[in-house]
Amino acid sequence: MRFRNRLQAWLIRRQPESTEWTLRQQRIYLLPTTFGWTLLGVALAIWVGALNYAVSLAYALSFWIIGLLLVSVLMAYRQLAGLTLQAGAADPVFAGETAHFEVRLDNPSAWPRTLQGHLAGRAERAVGCQLPSRSSTWLSLPMTAEKRGLQAMPALALSSDVPFGLIRAFAYVRLREHVLVYPAPLRDGLRHGQGASGEGEAVLPAGEDEFSHLAAYRDGDTSRQIAWKVLARRDVLASKQFTGATAAGCRLLDWHDYPPGQGVESRLSWLAWRVLECERERCCYRLRLPGVEVGPQPHQRERALALLARFGALS
Amino acid sequence: MTGGDALRRVLPVLAALAVTAAPLALHLPGWVAALSAAMLLARGVLLWQQRQLPPRWLVALAVVVPLVLLWLTLRTLVGREGGSALLLLLVGFKAFETFSLRDWRVLLALGFFLAATPLLFDQSPLAAAWLVQSLLCLTWAMAALNGRQPLLASLRTTLQALLFSLPLMLVLFVVMPRLPGPLWGMPAADESANSGLAEDMAPGSISQLILNHEPVFTAVFAGPPPPRRDFYWRVMLFDRFDGSRWLNAGALTEPRGQTRGGIPVSYTLTVVPDKGRVPVLDLPGGVAEGLTERAGMVWQQARASDARIRFRADSRAGALLVEPLDAMQHAFYRFLPAGNERALALAASIRARSRDDEAYIRAVLEHFRLESFRYTLSPPPLSGAIVDQFLFETRQGFCEHYASALAFLARAAGIPSRVVVGYQGGEYNSAGEFWQIRSSDAHAWVEVWLASRQAWWRVDPTAAVSPDRIERGVEQAVPAARTAMPMLGGRPPEWMLALRQHWLAANFAWQQWVVGYDAGRQRSLFRSLGLGQEVDVPAVLKGLLAGAVLMVMPFLWWWRQQAKREPLQQGWLLLGRRLRRVEVVIAPSDTPAEVLLRAASLAEAEHGQLAALLEAYACLRYRTSGEASPEAVRCWLRAVRCFRPGRAMNGKTPAGRG
Repeated sequence: MRFRNRLQAWLIRRQPESTEWTLRQQRIYLLPTTFGWTLLGVALAIWVGALNYAVSLAYALSFWIIGLLLVSVLMAYRQLAGLTLQAGAADPVFAGETAHFEVRLDNPSAWPRTLQGHLAGRAERAVGCQLPSRSSTWLSLPMTAEKRGLQAMPALALSSDVPFGLIRAFAYVRLREHVLVYPAPLRDGLRHGQGASGEGEAVLPAGEDEFSHLAAYRDGDTSRQIAWKVLARRDVLASKQFTGATAAGCRLLDWHDYPPGQGVESRLSWLAWRVLECERERCCYRLRLPGVEVGPQPHQRERALALLARFGALS
Repeated sequence: MTGGDALRRVLPVLAALAVTAAPLALHLPGWVAALSAAMLLARGVLLWQQRQLPPRWLVALAVVVPLVLLWLTLRTLVGREGGSALLLLLVGFKAFETFSLRDWRVLLALGFFLAATPLLFDQSPLAAAWLVQSLLCLTWAMAALNGRQPLLASLRTTLQALLFSLPLMLVLFVVMPRLPGPLWGMPAADESANSGLAEDMAPGSISQLILNHEPVFTAVFAGPPPPRRDFYWRVMLFDRFDGSRWLNAGALTEPRGQTRGGIPVSYTLTVVPDKGRVPVLDLPGGVAEGLTERAGMVWQQARASDARIRFRADSRAGALLVEPLDAMQHAFYRFLPAGNERALALAASIRARSRDDEAYIRAVLEHFRLESFRYTLSPPPLSGAIVDQFLFETRQGFCEHYASALAFLARAAGIPSRVVVGYQGGEYNSAGEFWQIRSSDAHAWVEVWLASRQAWWRVDPTAAVSPDRIERGVEQAVPAARTAMPMLGGRPPEWMLALRQHWLAANFAWQQWVVGYDAGRQRSLFRSLGLGQEVDVPAVLKGLLAGAVLMVMPFLWWWRQQAKREPLQQGWLLLGRRLRRVEVVIAPSDTPAEVLLRAASLAEAEHGQLAALLEAYACLRYRTSGEASPEAVRCWLRAVRCFRPGRAMNGKTPAGRG
């Protein structure tokens, strides 16, 4: 087992990284499965029996099985050969959730393919996929995100034992694809939910109803907020966001809300929870980390969470 | 593995095992086959109803009972019968402890092994056909078990895989070295199986065989065959008469005979030895490899086996067997038990009239011819003094009656004699260029020892009574021996005989080249192919290399076929090639309109055709919506294939001249 892992690691190290690959013979490996070895043993046993008992037809059977094994090698090889892979995008997830790396598979050949993909060195289940001739599909490879930050996609192992399960063709491909893992949100009831009056959370004074930006319309937005001009011009429902539009004013989610003794990851997790909470309540907030701040703006949630996810990696 | 998907994957495995094991039912005790079939069926039912399997310990316990039973039936668990029965039972029980994919795969691998076992019993073309079917089922089951394709698609893949591995198999079959002998002990010949000649000769022992048309052996002559009257294949010698039967007492333990005269003939014989005995043409020269010569020039296998053998032999047809007899042997070959007084008296009277031994024998044959003796397959039964009864009362008999009577009369006159049993004649198969000898050719004749020549002289009394039997075969001589139509009776029509000949020829070729492809045959094939004088490593490697070309061919075809371009592009390229022939060169970047411009030199009709083709191409290629219908594309491609700008011009020129 250990040998296998080391072999796998070595095979993966040999591969350069790219966003697109076409599988050629130099990266497709072929090995008999346990079943393949068993059948080879059976063929040899039949051969020995044929030698001893001088049974001509048993020779034929034995050699036919061997021929079948050889043809299986070719058939398994054809399942992977010529396949084109392209890295897609992976949606950001919170740590602890399952990220899905999207890989586009292109079958340019006239024959259908059946194969499985999984991420090398990971425990997640392999994902099967069928590709009819001259077609493409997306392979979605799950990976449990363990750490926050920008996580590279592990090497993709593609394999196929079609048609008989005797020979397994496999290839390791390193695709340049990443997933952004936000810190796992951690409930921080103390500093949230007590509203403007609470001491825990600093609230920035509510400014005038100053227009901030446009956001997609969400249920609950008042008719006053709807950008009618935009609707008339572009036929898109959008709501105007104002600074200080919420009743509670703009909340400040500050790195320094926490005493200096607190760990970085805990702070990030708390802040992430508070960002989500503000988003849920649709209230105005500012996230302030050392040296950087995210105020109300389009895609504020994503920006704020990304900031939390990448914290430490940037500076 | 549970649920409907599992059922779809696993049931084919059980079915394939049943198909594979089916021929074993013919060769193994009935209950073994029945039990295994029942187990496979029961496993299938359990699967169908999604019931629990019995616990493992119960299965392990239950397997003991049939194993004990098997031991009691066969007295062995190894060898041909024992081994196959054991394997079959194990497969049945293994089916009851299959849980995971891995278990099922082990079972399937066992199935492949099981497919080899019927071959130990039968290697006929039919068995081979069944083997192919078994292999197909097993491979299909393998694909189904892998479960990544629908059943029908997996059948396609299976056929493809088997087809592609066929040349591989053929090359390995021809090239991989065969052993001249077994690796370990061969299974002993089965004593009970005996459809050949009897151990002794009593009236009726051969006529039973005559009605049996089973092929016994085949012979291929290297040169012209000997005349038909010399087609005597000797198998056994009977030298002692006990009053009712002729037996082999084995008086002479050393073969000391020599041949004199005769036409040398060389031939190859293929035969399943009958208790180690093999036929050989009268009279043989040196003994072939693996065989020993017994007294009286009959051949026997050095080690009896019931495998088909083939050997080359040289004989001298119509030769004399020179063998000096000492006094004791002389007396032995003259010995007669008491009884049959009338025959003794007849012998004495003929002896008195005859000048010498040879004249005496001729006189006896004359007696057979002139007195109203009849050659018949169904003579009246004889008992007691059988020679007397035959000679003076019934006067109807078959070859053994005449041989027995003649040998008796020779001994009665003091001439050493013995009865030879074997086959006479044979049927030439022109389709396969070989001679087929059947049970119905079984025959008995006499050898008498002539002191004047110090040699045994072959005398066939049947020839005196029924010359047709010797010249044209038993079917001509005795109507009852003719091959009857199963239902209608009478002689089968010509076409059926021809069909039978072809079937026999195919069978012969099969026996010669497939079943009988052994070390010797392989060596001679290697020599004739020029691979080497012996089957050694370089020769095998050379063979594999040569075979590799053959093996690769289907793959190339397959790959090419798969790599075929899409039809529109194919047609476009073809169009370019056709135009190049009339020196219209097209650049790869040319549009249809540009092509038409370049082809301005074409004749008007052809130009029109080309314009139509190009327009159709543009229509199909650059459609605004949807895919072009495959039918339209095919139609266009056909039109392109018909478009041969050069040809129309060439066709016109001679017409103009004429």
